[in-house]
Amino acid sequence: MTIRSFLRHETILLLLLVIALIVLAQQSDRFFTTDNLLNQARLMAEVGLLALPMTFVIVTGGIDLSVGSIFGLAAILLGVFWHGLGLPLPLAMALAVLVGGIAGLGNGLIITRFNVPPLIATLATLALYRGLAEGISQARSVRGYPEWFFVLGQGEVLGLPTQLWFLLAIAIAAAIVLGLTTFGRTTYAIGANEVAARFSGLNVARTKLLIYTGSGLVAGLAAVIFVSRVSTTRSDMGTGLELDVITAVVLGGTSIFGGRGTIIGTLLGLILMQALKSGLALGGVKGDGTIVVIGVVLIAAILLGNLLSRNGDG
Amino acid sequence: MYKTMILALGLAVGSGGVAMAQSAWTGGDDLPTSPLACDGAAGAAAAMPYDGGQPTAAPDLKGQKITVVDVPKLIGIGYFNATSKGIADAATELGSVDAKTDGPTKANIDEQITFLDNYITSGVNGILFAANDPVAIAPVLKKALSKGIHVVGYDANSTPDAREWFVNQAQFNGIAKSMIDNMAKEAGEEAAFAIVTSTFTTPNQARWIAEMAAYQAQCHPKMKWLETVEAQEDNVLSFNQATTLINKYGDELKGIFGMTSVATPASAEAVSQGGKCGSIAVVGLATPNAMKPYVEKDCVKSVVLWNPVDLGYAAMYVLRAAIDGDLKPGATSVKAGKLGELQVINGSEVLLGQPYTFTKENIGNFDF
Amino acid sequence: MSFDVMQSRPSFPRRLLGFVEANGQEAIILAAIILLFVVVGVVNPRFLGNSNLTSIFSGNAYIAVAAIGMALVIISGNIDVSVGSLIGVLATIAGTLAVNGYPIIVCWLAPLAVGVAINAFVGFLVAYVRIPSIVVTLGMLSVLKGGLISATAGAWINNLPPEFMLAQFRPFGVPAPIYFMVTLTLLAALWMRYSGFGRTIYAIGGNPDAARVTGIRIERSIVCVFMIHGFFAGIAAVLFATQLQVIQSTVPPNLELTVITAAVVGGVSILGGTGTVIGSTLAAILFAAIGSALIFTNVSAYWLRAVQGLFILATVLADMARRRRLR
Repeated sequence: MTIRSFLRHETILLLLLVIALIVLAQQSDRFFTTDNLLNQARLMAEVGLLALPMTFVIVTGGIDLSVGSIFGLAAILLGVFWHGLGLPLPLAMALAVLVGGIAGLGNGLIITRFNVPPLIATLATLALYRGLAEGISQARSVRGYPEWFFVLGQGEVLGLPTQLWFLLAIAIAAAIVLGLTTFGRTTYAIGANEVAARFSGLNVARTKLLIYTGSGLVAGLAAVIFVSRVSTTRSDMGTGLELDVITAVVLGGTSIFGGRGTIIGTLLGLILMQALKSGLALGGVKGDGTIVVIGVVLIAAILLGNLLSRNGDG
Repeated sequence: MYKTMILALGLAVGSGGVAMAQSAWTGGDDLPTSPLACDGAAGAAAAMPYDGGQPTAAPDLKGQKITVVDVPKLIGIGYFNATSKGIADAATELGSVDAKTDGPTKANIDEQITFLDNYITSGVNGILFAANDPVAIAPVLKKALSKGIHVVGYDANSTPDAREWFVNQAQFNGIAKSMIDNMAKEAGEEAAFAIVTSTFTTPNQARWIAEMAAYQAQCHPKMKWLETVEAQEDNVLSFNQATTLINKYGDELKGIFGMTSVATPASAEAVSQGGKCGSIAVVGLATPNAMKPYVEKDCVKSVVLWNPVDLGYAAMYVLRAAIDGDLKPGATSVKAGKLGELQVINGSEVLLGQPYTFTKENIGNFDF
Repeated sequence: MSFDVMQSRPSFPRRLLGFVEANGQEAIILAAIILLFVVVGVVNPRFLGNSNLTSIFSGNAYIAVAAIGMALVIISGNIDVSVGSLIGVLATIAGTLAVNGYPIIVCWLAPLAVGVAINAFVGFLVAYVRIPSIVVTLGMLSVLKGGLISATAGAWINNLPPEFMLAQFRPFGVPAPIYFMVTLTLLAALWMRYSGFGRTIYAIGGNPDAARVTGIRIERSIVCVFMIHGFFAGIAAVLFATQLQVIQSTVPPNLELTVITAAVVGGVSILGGTGTVIGSTLAAILFAAIGSALIFTNVSAYWLRAVQGLFILATVLADMARRRRLR
């Protein structure tokens, strides 16, 4: 598995993205404007944040279906800590992120301690965490956050949407960790062959635990940003988010069987998805049509990648 | 250490739960209620100053061709198909209006916001919306106003300052009175009843239930409120939930309220398949077409609803009037085509009218 | 009241564990069902009333039927996240044919045929083009869902002819869906165990390389598995479509999750190679019973999903503990 074969899918994806951008820009002159692009960055920040740790998760050959539910739980608890328990808002925000991390740690423990396959473990916690969010909130939403809080989700820093800075910072960190560190190499090794990784002395359980905890932490952070963007908390926040996140990661060329995938690919997949959503809408395609296009592009991109890489290998 | 952290999660969750679960819950929300008088005497509505928002530097488009987008809570359900039809009808009637409906496939605040955001960028002249959450939708609507786009809501409101006008299909307390009165009439003053609603987080339904509880306590105090169950906007789930209620309470259950246009026909079906027609009354919000079979075989006597086609129609007329400058803050009424003059209430709401009760005699006259 | 149920929980897995060690996942679930029926039956005897048992079984039979096909797919080492959208599409096809006056038998069989055809395509992409099944079906989920809404605009299908209402027939006083659920489960279970193809599916899921060495034509078998799954989805869609007088022509919310959960909680290993369809049907019944039981025990509906999640977790952990001890 050389660097070249790693990059192959990303190259195809980049090409696809460029073609898509050109076509979409032709459909509407409002698509390729700074205003729209920055706005789209704001809209994709939550999915983007979640897609980063999800890349790690899928590279290990796992999956995390519970991120949407952790997102909802953290959002609800932010409101409860601040409004219900009267904690200062910054502390409540930190606690909400922490709860996300603990929820992710819970996933990791179930997966590593009990050897439960990640799909089942997170299917269970998908229901459990969402259930906790609903049970705790009793369908009440918390509103009336102070003005400064909205900087996170609605404001700008140095001309860019605030959440884009978070996305960029974490994306760079994730790319470095996955691409250049021992931790990253362990992650790939687990996905390529978990048993072999264990026998070669790598700490598989610890690595997985950290990855799922990180996934939860980032879900908590994304939830805080989302609450700031929409200025309210509801227990149904983030429902179905996991499918969007997984689509972005898989579109980005990360193999669902593990062992292969990059952060760059995930980012390209994410941008392609968001560009399609925005560009098609501006070009006059309705939402149901857009869903169909994204489904087709997902299958086609993987298909293309498969065909080309097989030719290359052969 | 892991155990400690799990414990911490448990404690955090537990304390949160206790903090939020102070009071018993009926399916309603926390906002104050304002039940109508039992005899139906209209309360004196205090005149309120205009509290809507205004678009900044909106171009003068009086009489010119405009493009309008309608973003309902979700697409693909009968109710919003009907409002969408009304909007299209009004657009045709008005001429020079290019209106289309687009929105999320599930009632999701995030997707609805994304849709609105994209349409703002695409440069529409007017937005019609039915909010999935009144607060969450506000920032994106304010953004539309700031770009000179006219914004009118219908069916489900946002915070007032995020839109210019809201077309109110019927006041919450009016619907509540209608529902409870019909139930008391059909099932008796001492009837025990249960409710099938969509989800506990749906603002309109929660509001209606809260108003129903207040009105029932005041005007029909002997009725017994059994419980409220959640059934999404899902036919089969609504049916199963209603069936379970019937099985659970047996002869004690005298009535079921359906709070959505999905839950009501499904509840009627449950009563019908359970052979309980006549012994369990079904009262609810629903569209006439879905209810005709049950009304015709006397399984359901009254269906409460406004006409959603009219609602969409009125919303389109209000938007056109706002764009043309014919409807300005402080106005007391607005012309809405075949619906005539509609009254302005609560500062910045346009009232469609009183809720309508469909019965066996008149249901055949409606087709939506 | 609501706390009674919650507090009895911790001891529940422990009590089960001894019993379960000797048996499989089916036994755990069967025990859970019986326990649930006894406990809730004591709290409110109406729970065990004839009409409630009938509605628990028949109202959710379509989920059990769909879970049979899903179990086969998962045993073969694949997954299908598009089954909810597929059932929505097939139900709409059945209803549209019925209101347009096609012979009833056509309305019942068309969804089966279309289901098989669509899934033959999915199976082709998975087996021959080698796109992972989760990717193909994730894409299909979007395509089917978006396509359905584009085509119908969500218009409800009303005025269905009475003779179309398969799920409302009650031969010998028992609703038709129960016959379907029981017969199909037993047939599929026997077939999986005793037929050559059944063993082939286990072999593919357990170890594809070994299966290939023994001369199994893996690609063809996987396409077949998906086609069978499409067939069951078709039957599930007919049962789903004929339950009520109206078809919503949208995708039933979260149906794919329910079906997958029933299959995996029923003991079908997500890693492929093991599991039975009896377990998946039992799990579908268990979930239906939990939903009903919560209403009967007055547990606030807010906690419904949390309780479901705990139940899934408990059954899965019990199974894992059992496997560990066996090892």
